Amino acid sequence: MARTENDIAIVGFSQSPMVRRSQKTETEMMLPVVQSAIASVGLTKNDIGFTVSGSCDYLSGQAFSFVSNVDAYGAWPPINESHVEMDGAWALYEAFVRLLQGDIDTAVAAGVGKNSNSDPSTLFTIEMDPYYLTPIGADPWSMAALQARAYLDSGKATERDFAEVVARNRANAKSNPHAQLSGDFDIDELLAADYVRNPLRRHDLPPTTDGCAAIVLARGKKAYDLCERPAWITGIDHRIEAHLPTMRADITKSVSTALAAQGAGVGNAPIDVAEIYAPFSFQELIIREALGLDASTEINPSGGALAANPVMVSGLIRMGEAATQIMKNGKRRTLAHATSGPCLQQNLVCVLEGDE
Amino acid sequence: MSHQPVAVVGIGQTHHKKRRGDVSIAGLVREAAVRALEDANMDWGDIDAVVLGKAPDLFEGVMKPEMYLADALGAVNKPMFRVHTAGSVGGSTGIVGSHLVGSGRHKRVLSLAFEKQSEGNAQFALGGGKSGSIGAGGAFAPFIRAYIRRSGAPEDIGWRVAVKDRLNGAKNPYAHLKLADITIDKVRESPMMWDPLHFLESCPSSDGACAVIFTDEDGGKAASKPPAWVLATAMKSEPSTFAGRDPVSPQAAHDCSDEIYKAIGVTNPREQIDCAELYVPFSWYEPMWLEAHDIAAPGEGWKMTERGDTALDGSFPVNMSGGVLSSNPIGASGLLRFSEAALQVRGQAGEHQVGGAKLAIAQAYGANAQFFAMWAVGSSLDPLG
Amino acid sequence: MPDVVHESVFNLQFPFTRTLGSTLSTFFSALAQGQIIGVRTGGRVIAPPLEYDPDTAADSGTDYVKVGPKGTVSAWTWVPEPTHLHTIKNPFAFAFITLDGADTAMIHLVDAGSESAMKPGMRVEATFKPVDERVGRIDDILAFVPAADPAPSAGAGESWDAPAEPEISTQDSYCDLVYVDNTSASTLLWMESLLAGKLVGQKCPVCSRTFVGPRGMCCVDAIELDETNVVDVPDRGVITNFTVITPVQYPGQLETEPFARCSILLDGTDAVMAQQSILDIPADQVRVGMHVAAVWVPEAERDVSEIGNRGWGSGGDCISGWRHTGQPDEPEENYLERMM
Repeated sequence: MARTENDIAIVGFSQSPMVRRSQKTETEMMLPVVQSAIASVGLTKNDIGFTVSGSCDYLSGQAFSFVSNVDAYGAWPPINESHVEMDGAWALYEAFVRLLQGDIDTAVAAGVGKNSNSDPSTLFTIEMDPYYLTPIGADPWSMAALQARAYLDSGKATERDFAEVVARNRANAKSNPHAQLSGDFDIDELLAADYVRNPLRRHDLPPTTDGCAAIVLARGKKAYDLCERPAWITGIDHRIEAHLPTMRADITKSVSTALAAQGAGVGNAPIDVAEIYAPFSFQELIIREALGLDASTEINPSGGALAANPVMVSGLIRMGEAATQIMKNGKRRTLAHATSGPCLQQNLVCVLEGDE
Repeated sequence: MSHQPVAVVGIGQTHHKKRRGDVSIAGLVREAAVRALEDANMDWGDIDAVVLGKAPDLFEGVMKPEMYLADALGAVNKPMFRVHTAGSVGGSTGIVGSHLVGSGRHKRVLSLAFEKQSEGNAQFALGGGKSGSIGAGGAFAPFIRAYIRRSGAPEDIGWRVAVKDRLNGAKNPYAHLKLADITIDKVRESPMMWDPLHFLESCPSSDGACAVIFTDEDGGKAASKPPAWVLATAMKSEPSTFAGRDPVSPQAAHDCSDEIYKAIGVTNPREQIDCAELYVPFSWYEPMWLEAHDIAAPGEGWKMTERGDTALDGSFPVNMSGGVLSSNPIGASGLLRFSEAALQVRGQAGEHQVGGAKLAIAQAYGANAQFFAMWAVGSSLDPLG
Repeated sequence: MPDVVHESVFNLQFPFTRTLGSTLSTFFSALAQGQIIGVRTGGRVIAPPLEYDPDTAADSGTDYVKVGPKGTVSAWTWVPEPTHLHTIKNPFAFAFITLDGADTAMIHLVDAGSESAMKPGMRVEATFKPVDERVGRIDDILAFVPAADPAPSAGAGESWDAPAEPEISTQDSYCDLVYVDNTSASTLLWMESLLAGKLVGQKCPVCSRTFVGPRGMCCVDAIELDETNVVDVPDRGVITNFTVITPVQYPGQLETEPFARCSILLDGTDAVMAQQSILDIPADQVRVGMHVAAVWVPEAERDVSEIGNRGWGSGGDCISGWRHTGQPDEPEENYLERMM
């Protein structure tokens, strides 16, 4: 299909090592990643039309923590710039919409998260309903476990299926040089572990990760100038659901993912590779069903969020990994998914395609 | 290729107060959203996507509150987006919403920004939870001192702005401060907070929200009330500190207005633009922004203030709504500027209406005077034509 | 580079005060009386109530209904090791509990004694804090416990006559988070120099700007700076700007009197240290152009534990402030544009 000046592609991707504890600040993590993403397409900082990042004040515990991140861009002379308090996947969405304005033809979307400064089981209690959930310490692990319990009770999966998701992702991660956790795991040994939140064991939960990623986008002909085989964004959509999981009709399904997949045109043709952001093992099964993927689609060759989960970055990494499958590995059509909020409240789906 | 026309067809805001003790966080944002829906003659179901903006989550102690607010704002099964660009965030929230329509992604978008400052304490949050927070006033006062030294402006300029904006605010039914009896003497005699800024030269701390509904060209033309057309938008940033940076008249501020003026063909902003809503949380920022945005020559901005040019009945009215000095729900303050500019060109600004306003600009800034958002709105797609 | 990584523990604690609005005030006022209520909206009873129908965002109205105190567990999970934010300290369950009279579930704790007691479909009953300990918050329900009698709750589904002015309209919410920051390499360099009684900066090899209070990069050229870029800078300079701050009182604030904070341009450099305090003279006598020198804390008493990655150029407890040197003031033209 001939591309037009309205078409936007991922042309460059860079990510930091994904580690349990980085000694760098968020800004220090960002600088080499953002600049290497730009350099990877033969540009320099002053060539970029728009820059946007995703990060979270409460990860570092400091108001306006993203302000110093502008230093990582070398934003002088001043640049067109924005920031979202969302995963970098949504920063990419803003960059995509910004490019559609038509006055610029390149953009950078980044995500950064220094997760190791805090404890996710306490920190994310303040992401919950401030009147009904935060005061009882409702934590993200417990919320996910409630969803997992409902999923088991629906008869769609067993705890062994959860462990198989973990083993497959961590085995895939062996070929991902950026992964934090990888290796071969025996399903029975995994199932012998204690519950952290019944029915979830430690391996069903994501690791705590420090990391950063950046993606370069280009519009129209510019994409071919910067990349031999651009990963064209042929569909991108995101949706949110009711905050309280108990207000959703069926938490064993992801309605918002299904709607976003429809909006992104997932079902129009087969998907070769899907990178799914499932922070908890069983959520991969829910997302996979909502995306309508069949057995022909390879899932998470990177190892996904069970191999490394820098919150505020994990979704953007899925986009970078899915794009790399096209840019470097010759795949035809890939998918990236991102999520946010308790029990998969918010989901984004992006379909990428390479030229024939 | 260029973006499609975007119209503002609905504007709503809360009554801003030190403490909106009568509402929850959801109740606060819904009050603004419902007013905007009523203004646009729409219902929740008509909205395709929601963009939410606010300043640091530490102000209310709710992390990513757009998650909890998704159902309160009718976003269930729709896209919900969260912007955070420091003090300019309200402006950015409007700009991102307008781009969602201008890009053809959506037909009707609700942008909403809020702050419920009374839940916590902004000084605490800005100080990182530690003692000795200098607050926003302490951060900006040195820049103001430098401006005064550089321009040779007399000390009463700040007092004049403080009076003028509060008199405008007294005409705005939604304003937090309604100080109809304010005088220069009262400002001068109010306590010194961040030398040279007196208490009455500083913005209040407010609870409040603002909502704007955008639609496309067809929607704008079919609207029951006159729309405001979004003619140009810009967002510019620069690093907070380095040798050679001018925080008094930041390059990013200049670049922002240069880009806006170029996009809409403004060559003489002082004459061609009818009025402006500029982010003035501390009185002296009025002349500083007049200069940074080329409405006045360098060092001359304070003379516009002194002459009364920036009064509601002056030749270039600034902050007709009463500005940030009259209401400051931080995250919403930028969107309040943007929506006041739109109200003006719609002819819907009531007692603070500038007669015949056809072209208005609005601006918001943030952090160390380093993040800028600006838009120009017109009563038609070609107000200079 | 020191081989010990410096970590600083920071407790982010703040007492937020939430205002509740009509629906939540009604709910929490009833709760403090030991009555759980829901609201009938969109053809179903939502409990606990929301101000809006989550499906349509329409106002949910005031058709309040008594629910519970017994209910039925659908999903549950077990918390074997409660955190400091959990409201009971022994192992417990979180559960979805559909209260009698309600069509939607509530998320709350079940204090079941042991994990093996948890069963889907089990009947549970709310236990409340003693009346005098209730504050109108969701943890006024201590937890649910297995119901002694599974029979339906008496009165569930009946209308609740809400008072026009609910008794409780605000709610305290205490934020209590722990952060452990590890100090970056550039900040460690800074700490080491302060302990040694000298100031250092990092000089960009491209633009030659010096950044004091090392931040590990040049923000103009976007290149990383490390120990090879370190330069010594003088601990003397000129005040180029200042403000006097009247402290606002908030929890944790220790300042009570107006205090000056100055920008100091270090002699012979382009580096400015911002927000520095001046010793020995009243805040109202600080002026620009003054020559000042750092006053170092005696070496044995120097402490960098308060220095973290939050905020550049803090002298920590190594520089107690800056003192006027007595030299004649610097002419204005030499510093006017040098506040950063």
